[in-house]
Amino acid sequence: MLKQLFPIKHVAGYISSLVLSAVALVVLLDMPFASKMAILVVTAVLQASVQLVLFMHAGESEDKKSVYINIAYALFVGLVTIFGTLFIFVWGWYS
Amino acid sequence: MKIDATQPLEYGTEENRNRIFGFWLFLGAEIALFATLFTVYFVLVNRYASGPSGAEIFELTPVLLETFLLLTSSFTIGLAIHAMRLGLKKQTMMFIVITLLLGAAFLGIEIYEFFTYVHEGLTLSTSAFASSLFTLLGTHGAHVAFGLLWGSVILIQLKKHGLDHSTANKSFIFSLYWHFLDVVWIFIFSFVYLKGLM
Repeated sequence: MLKQLFPIKHVAGYISSLVLSAVALVVLLDMPFASKMAILVVTAVLQASVQLVLFMHAGESEDKKSVYINIAYALFVGLVTIFGTLFIFVWGWYS
Repeated sequence: MKIDATQPLEYGTEENRNRIFGFWLFLGAEIALFATLFTVYFVLVNRYASGPSGAEIFELTPVLLETFLLLTSSFTIGLAIHAMRLGLKKQTMMFIVITLLLGAAFLGIEIYEFFTYVHEGLTLSTSAFASSLFTLLGTHGAHVAFGLLWGSVILIQLKKHGLDHSTANKSFIFSLYWHFLDVVWIFIFSFVYLKGLM
């Protein structure tokens, strides 16, 4: 019963998301800023993928192509909003 | 209503499949919403005026607790859907109850954190940094609060009607919403708290 309620796939996903959160904590140690940001981006994106694919079953429905295209488009809009704004307002691209 | 018995209950009818796809479209819009809130925060993070900065006000312990609670709740709502697909109504409901309790605990810590911030002199109008921080965290927290209500209503429906095409569909869509909140939190944890503390 316990094995039936706690499938290995979900348990593995849960443990990996905990481990990834713990790994992200190394940015609090002393190291170059660029490495810190790289670690944060990698651990966050990996965790988001675990949720999306494993827990949200993004790839299991028959219209999975549309689901992935929709998410990709939303991410495109989001990233352009974030980095486009940073270019202008923070990194001073206009001057 | 054409029922496809080869699919799990929540996908069983065309209407169900459309609802799930429609919710994915909504989540796409939510990604855009949170992207704009993160944008504002990233632009204004160093404009803390005469108020405290992130490094001064963030504390690791409550944030780690919040992260642990939300990650665990995302795991348990996944288990709820797994149990639902096995047709186990009691276990499905039990996992949803655990999820909501973990969500409530998360919200409790977040409210306590907001209380501490205000106590230490960081209110919504202290600085541009403060406004953007509270807006980002508050929008996520409001989503969690709404999720608690939504989940409770689904529990009542499960109790009343059992697992059928309609309630299985609603539970599955709720699980998508809850996982999404966890994804947003991961980015808040990484790029607001850890980046602020490093």
